[in-house]
Amino acid sequence: MKTLSELRNYYNTTLLPELRVLEAQRKKALNKILIAALVIIPLAIILAFIMNDVVFPGIVAFGFLVGITAFVSKKYVSNFKTEIIGKIVTSVEKNLIYSKRNRVAKTLFMASQIFKHRIDVYKGDDHVRGKLGKTNSEFSEIHAQYVTRDSKGRRNHHTIFKGLFFIADFSKHFKGKTFILPDKAERFLGGLGAMFQSWNKTRGQLIKLEDPEFEKYFVVYGSDQIEARYILSTSLMKRIVDFKKKTGKSIYFSFIATKIFVAIPYRRNLFEPRIFRTILDFTPIQQYFEDLQLAVGIVDDLNLNTRIWGKQ
Amino acid sequence: MSILLIILVVGGLFVFTLYNSLIGKKNQVENVFASIDAILKKRYDLVPNLVSTVKTYMEHEKSTLTEITELRAKAVSGNLSSDEKVDLDNKISKMIGGIMVAVENYPDLKANQNFLQLQASLNEIEEQISAARRAYNAAVTDYNNATEMVPTNIIASMLNFKRKQVFEIGEAERKNINVGNLFKK
Repeated sequence: MKTLSELRNYYNTTLLPELRVLEAQRKKALNKILIAALVIIPLAIILAFIMNDVVFPGIVAFGFLVGITAFVSKKYVSNFKTEIIGKIVTSVEKNLIYSKRNRVAKTLFMASQIFKHRIDVYKGDDHVRGKLGKTNSEFSEIHAQYVTRDSKGRRNHHTIFKGLFFIADFSKHFKGKTFILPDKAERFLGGLGAMFQSWNKTRGQLIKLEDPEFEKYFVVYGSDQIEARYILSTSLMKRIVDFKKKTGKSIYFSFIATKIFVAIPYRRNLFEPRIFRTILDFTPIQQYFEDLQLAVGIVDDLNLNTRIWGKQ
Repeated sequence: MSILLIILVVGGLFVFTLYNSLIGKKNQVENVFASIDAILKKRYDLVPNLVSTVKTYMEHEKSTLTEITELRAKAVSGNLSSDEKVDLDNKISKMIGGIMVAVENYPDLKANQNFLQLQASLNEIEEQISAARRAYNAAVTDYNNATEMVPTNIIASMLNFKRKQVFEIGEAERKNINVGNLFKK
């Protein structure tokens, strides 16, 4: 399944009956949440009058409601992922295996070396893996954080990366490391930015490439000038620029140990069902499908299935 | 007095940094040029394999095969100037390209496992050569900029550093290769 019209067809024939069952579950969960709210909110208001404080009861009530929502909708979310997301994944490509609780392993995330900060909390779900054409690939949603303590000893979580993390076998052999990072300095500072970038030696040498559009969006570091250009052929640079434009996001790439790692930041949660609005609607389904297509499409977009360089 | 000393020290450091960056750029150019040589040699190593694999199939291209073997022998013999190297390499590239096109006429050869492997290796090396040339051009551009831009140009002119040439595609290569001509002997 590749096109939107095929998806619409699939939605009407296969997904809709499932969605009707799930919609009943959603309504049931939503009712429980409403009942809980009807109990908790008046209690919080009374507490606010007694304590003569709004903030503390407000926070406690909000915390309770979030917890209850997560608790009563757990089964519904789980069923939704198995029945709907799982089905959409296999309908896009039948070789793919979906696992709602799994994620890209932390070791692999760290092996990409895209984000160098110490990771304290590593979460993620909606793992998809399988062979796309000739290319072994996997991806999942990842949320990596580090924790600091302030002067009062409170824990603060800071996001290192949140979004889609994709790994695939690269089509060429290589030995070193190459990083493609969003170019912030050069866009704002021009030539001066490029000079600062050449001083940054934490990721190897700065690699200046000849595609001006590519250089506008990205900065490349690598352990080997020639190898980085071997990986980044003129056609791959063009493809990466096109991919960047298609997603409209600041994307990170690294090429290490014959693998390509792609990190695409998202603010929203991916592949999560709605609770407060009806799911008998095509829009969210289309959203899941497009998010999935974006990840699966990386293989074609970057031409990873062309195996003419001695690597099978 | 002390102010003068500070100015002298800072000025001296500044000149050293400029000098070092210039030398670094010059060495980078030489370094990348040496890598091109290494990759070219990898390709020359494949030529005998290629010839022996296709020889049994290709009836009409015998003379091309002898010629490419001779060129390869010349290329690996050493004692060549850079220009000669580039020239030889161009000729060999063109001939390998020609052989790859001629293979289309030999379905048996196209299915030969040995040949397919060779073809993949050649593609890989071809891509590496192109990468190395791009790296060379980038290094040369960097070096040329340094020799012509203020303030490094002052030091460059004192050391008599000259502008270097980037790799360009020769007139012959820009034209489409005429495979028919290649095999007409």
